[in-house]
Amino acid sequence: MTIDTTSKPTESMPTETMPATAEIVERCRSLYEDLDFSAARAWKAAVPGRKVVGFMPVYAPLELIHAAGCLPLGLFGGGDQMEVIHGDAYYQSYICRIPRSTVELGVTKRLDFVDGMIFPFVCDVIRNLSGMWKLMFPHVWSKFFDTPQNFDPEVGGRYYVEELKELRDGLGTLTGRKISDDDLKRSIALYNENRRLVREVYAFRARAPWKAPTSEIYLLMRAGLMMEVEEHNRLLVAYLAAAEAEDRPKRDNVRVAVYGSFCEQPPLNLIKSLEMAGCYVVEDDYALVNRFITEDVSTDGDPLEALATAYLKHSVETSCKYVPNEEDKGKYHVAQVRKARAEGVIYATPSFCDPALLDRPMICRRLGEAGIPHIAFKYAENSGQMQPIREQAGTFADSIKLWS
Amino acid sequence: MSEIVTAGIDIGSGCVKAVLFRVDGERIEWLDKEVARIRNRDPFQLAGEAHEAILKRTGVAREAVAYVASTGDAEALKFATGHFYSMTTHGRGAVFLNPKARAVLDIGALNGRAIKVDGSGKVSSYKMTSQCASGSGQFLENIARYLGIAQDEIGTLSRQADNPEKVSSICAVLAETDVINMVSRGISASNILKGIHVSMAVRLAKLLKSIGASEGVVQMTGGLALDVGLVAALNEALVQEKVALVAESHPDAIFAGAIGAALWGAYRHEKLAALETMAA
Repeated sequence: MTIDTTSKPTESMPTETMPATAEIVERCRSLYEDLDFSAARAWKAAVPGRKVVGFMPVYAPLELIHAAGCLPLGLFGGGDQMEVIHGDAYYQSYICRIPRSTVELGVTKRLDFVDGMIFPFVCDVIRNLSGMWKLMFPHVWSKFFDTPQNFDPEVGGRYYVEELKELRDGLGTLTGRKISDDDLKRSIALYNENRRLVREVYAFRARAPWKAPTSEIYLLMRAGLMMEVEEHNRLLVAYLAAAEAEDRPKRDNVRVAVYGSFCEQPPLNLIKSLEMAGCYVVEDDYALVNRFITEDVSTDGDPLEALATAYLKHSVETSCKYVPNEEDKGKYHVAQVRKARAEGVIYATPSFCDPALLDRPMICRRLGEAGIPHIAFKYAENSGQMQPIREQAGTFADSIKLWS
Repeated sequence: MSEIVTAGIDIGSGCVKAVLFRVDGERIEWLDKEVARIRNRDPFQLAGEAHEAILKRTGVAREAVAYVASTGDAEALKFATGHFYSMTTHGRGAVFLNPKARAVLDIGALNGRAIKVDGSGKVSSYKMTSQCASGSGQFLENIARYLGIAQDEIGTLSRQADNPEKVSSICAVLAETDVINMVSRGISASNILKGIHVSMAVRLAKLLKSIGASEGVVQMTGGLALDVGLVAALNEALVQEKVALVAESHPDAIFAGAIGAALWGAYRHEKLAALETMAA
């Protein structure tokens, strides 16, 4: 069975009424900056019985949350606008910041409207946060979503289908409504459309990065994880049309890929600083969830099997996914760099991010072997001093422009 | 390489500097220069005005400039073709002003940088002073104001010192307190200024050592390059630190960043043209 999306975004928003990029970006920024999640609260309040399910990085099958009739709400920590007071008491000093600020969001009641929480596998810290959440907020349905590290369909595939079933049952219990295969297939089709549009936006950025700055794309994608997917699809179409139409000057910047930022997100100012420092970011792993699956998920057959197959066979490589052969580590990054025609790589990791930092030597070695210039630095979601980052990224850009 | 005209614009903490060059392979002709103190004005507007003034004087049309290269704090300069970072541009500018230079000390209003370069101006190592302002031009300006002397008198007065006083080299706040105490103790302005120069020079000599600059000429650039007292104190400190470097200055040292930007802009323009040809 092939399911078509009932209302194509292009039909619902004619180009003559398209808003300008500034208008779209401003809306996305207000969603991104709102740590009270007013829009998600309003969505929930609009219809009695609606449920909101939060999810953390890096990947969760949002189709299942959507098929359950819930709003998937991307939770990426507290960013640089929130002071962490209570959250620090729960963690040692050598733990990254995202769990601290997520706890802070919880204990300050900013998430008191969230009915369920999904903690996908990233690392031990996020795994343990799921247990903490159960203890701290017993009225909230919480699920540690353990993605497979074995990519044999008979082993990891079978395990993952069971994990998806458990997630589907949990969501069904939360909403009091069983998720049918047809419900899920409709959601998969909508998310296929979302992934296609997301890929289109990233491809547009790689083609004309001066027309689609990463500081804008980032807001567009983050905001999309706080609204209904149908609305995000319309927004992506509108942004593509507006960005294409806008006349922006092209500068002599270098094209870079940014890796290592898949979980705790950098502050927006860091992304802007890279751009100011003379870098066009043409490839990145920021907020990966909406492009974690790289191809359409089949809407034929068993939808859970389809989601499992997509994960096993058509998903990106990140540090929270096991790479069985060490010699394959980083090959994906080299291929992506080539595809995006990036001239260098900035490996920017959150401080104390075990997955990213343990991978750094292997990935950087692979980049070096491929002759791809690279630098590395660390950040936290609340990093405020951008001058050293600008200097590093700027001199890196200079070295590529002049001597690469 | 065909003949091209390139511009360099350097927005510093205190001044905006603009230059224009005609470049044809190895032949480099410096067409004009302009400097404007910012004094609470919009540096981007000043940069535009300085650039326009140069174009008007030289009769070069705006469209005839192949590459407008910005440097310093000018990343957001709208009419720039591209931006280069200060260590990159000061390295190139220093070698243009003094081909013997193999190290550069760029000391501006807010901080200082030691840069190691090769004969082409390519940077091989660099280090900045810490965030403390005690090694900066702004700090010296403040001291001159406390002492009631003009900025251009600082160097000459410092060279007249006979018994320089020791000043804290760690922190501008402590150093300023030291100076207030010295004034109340009746220490002469010459000895105070020399003491400050010595404290700055010792830090700068150590900075040069830390980047592996060990012999040859260190070219002073930035606003403090014209402070003869600081240059003299630095040469004394280099001897004291047993570093075989000789510090030299140049009357146009303040333009080093803008010069480097314009020259790297010319190089980059040619490189891009070559890449386009290859791609075609």
